[in-house]
Amino acid sequence: MKGVAVTGMGIISAIGRNIEETQNSLQNNKDGISFPEILPTIHKSLPVGEIKLSNREISELLDLPADHACTRSSLLAMLAINELLEKSIWPEFPKDTGFISGTSIGGIDKTEEHFFDFKDSPEYRKYIQAQHPGYTTEKIAEYFGLGGTVTTISTACSSAANAIMMGAQLIESGKLKRVIVGGSDCLTKFTLNGFNSLKILSQKKGRPFDQDRDGLNLGEAAAYLLLEAEDCLAGKSILGRVSGFGNANDAFHQTASSEDGEGAFQAISKALKKAGLSPVEIDYINAHGTGTSNNDLSESMALKRIFEDTLPAFSSTKAFSGHTLGAAGAVEAVFSLLSINNNEIYPNLNFKNAMVETNLEPVIAIQENDIRTVLSNSFGFGGNCTSLIFQKHG
Amino acid sequence: MKQLFIRNSVLIRNSKVLKNGQLLMQEPEDLQLSKFLKNIYKERKLKYPKFFKMDRLSKLGYLGAEILTNGQIEDENTALFFANSASSLQTDEAYAESMEEFPSPSLFVYTLPNILLGEISIRHRLNSENIFFVFQDFDAGLFVDYVSTLFSQGKTENALCGWVNLHNNDYDVFLWEIALSGGIDFNEEELKKLYLPTHE
Repeated sequence: MKGVAVTGMGIISAIGRNIEETQNSLQNNKDGISFPEILPTIHKSLPVGEIKLSNREISELLDLPADHACTRSSLLAMLAINELLEKSIWPEFPKDTGFISGTSIGGIDKTEEHFFDFKDSPEYRKYIQAQHPGYTTEKIAEYFGLGGTVTTISTACSSAANAIMMGAQLIESGKLKRVIVGGSDCLTKFTLNGFNSLKILSQKKGRPFDQDRDGLNLGEAAAYLLLEAEDCLAGKSILGRVSGFGNANDAFHQTASSEDGEGAFQAISKALKKAGLSPVEIDYINAHGTGTSNNDLSESMALKRIFEDTLPAFSSTKAFSGHTLGAAGAVEAVFSLLSINNNEIYPNLNFKNAMVETNLEPVIAIQENDIRTVLSNSFGFGGNCTSLIFQKHG
Repeated sequence: MKQLFIRNSVLIRNSKVLKNGQLLMQEPEDLQLSKFLKNIYKERKLKYPKFFKMDRLSKLGYLGAEILTNGQIEDENTALFFANSASSLQTDEAYAESMEEFPSPSLFVYTLPNILLGEISIRHRLNSENIFFVFQDFDAGLFVDYVSTLFSQGKTENALCGWVNLHNNDYDVFLWEIALSGGIDFNEEELKKLYLPTHE
């Protein structure tokens, strides 16, 4: 059994503030889709996957000083990584722990909040640098005292999946023994208005892979995994392995996916090859499945091309959490590892009718099965397609 | 480690276009960037209507790649390795301004630097390795390390590299090809010389 071991995880999203709450929501069909209450937007009727904690409340939970300059994405990440740390064997992370964080939004929330104050109020100018995504990662690293390899990946909706892939590569190559990988993104006016301007936000709860799907719900989340090298594992429980990964460019359109899903097809093919698996060995696919007309068709075409007549059970879990952009790959990595550890598949909510073009039916009610191998897809703007494969340990 | 070579290079800077050190085009210094870009497109007799939909960062990258490769990338496995310091900030700002009235979808789609990689991949049908770094300054060492690693791992036999920076309409474009043969030795010193020639 080859691959990089996952020995810890932590998550916060609209369906739970830790692993237990998340698992409970997934097992009981409890989605986290609501109307925005924390995000100061005029679009009060657009459903979102919002975490109902203000920045002030999170700061209190984290016991941060009143004058901290953390972005919302960094606050969410601190909660998720705190969970990871609390469940580990350490009081604090060892010094040689690397940190790779994916984000699409970085600190745009702070620019939105304070842009008009910069000129006249010097006390807000500390937020000017927050726009850069690396700032959010540095704040998280500072909070946990992570001083080694620290880097940020921003490739839109595949950011966290790419962070996991990069972490796995650093461990495989022996550059790192231990690395925290994942991603964090919060809701902002920038993205809500942007996706709305592209007319790909649903006015209702998202319905991935349904014939009548009409768009996605944006969400916010932070999720992180601890990856460790073989020689660090003594006595630790292993949640699973990252055994395959692949990335390819779809080379079709700035934001839309190609009709035949070429980028997805190549990313999945590379991941299977890396893991040394044939398609029939995949037990479950956690699809990208945003719920937009374009993605779900393109992804279905790619799946049909890879798996032909033996498509394994698949579902998109974005109807639970919303599409959490740069965090999605890590959120779904956590869901995939829960599937492996609990031997259950979490359903594709709100699905009624299969698409006429492909006639694919996702899993729509929780299903118990021996789950040894999960494929998880994340595709981002710019044609950046990434697939990861998680496998059961032993 | 395999010996690698810089095959061709392009600079777009100060209203000038240079290829392999030779001046291809020179426009008045005070010419607006949008006009300069359009003039390059016309002068090079390009026919790619998608150009007109691109943001300026992507236009700079697209034009640089066209001039560098004469519009043809033969190896479909050519890796793309790009970087800049201002990310997509100019378009981010333009989109944020549009939010005051009506958020512009055509601007929103360009609020990521990896859209530039997408545009070049679309133009040349590349599903290959690609990455876009955001650095403080042009970092020749990182280009050399990263690209050499890609080659030594056997992931590619050709690479198209670029520094495409744009902020407040100040632009700085430097593109070059890396291959297993022909041209100048690929190392930090040579790359710095090409990026900042001491004579013009």
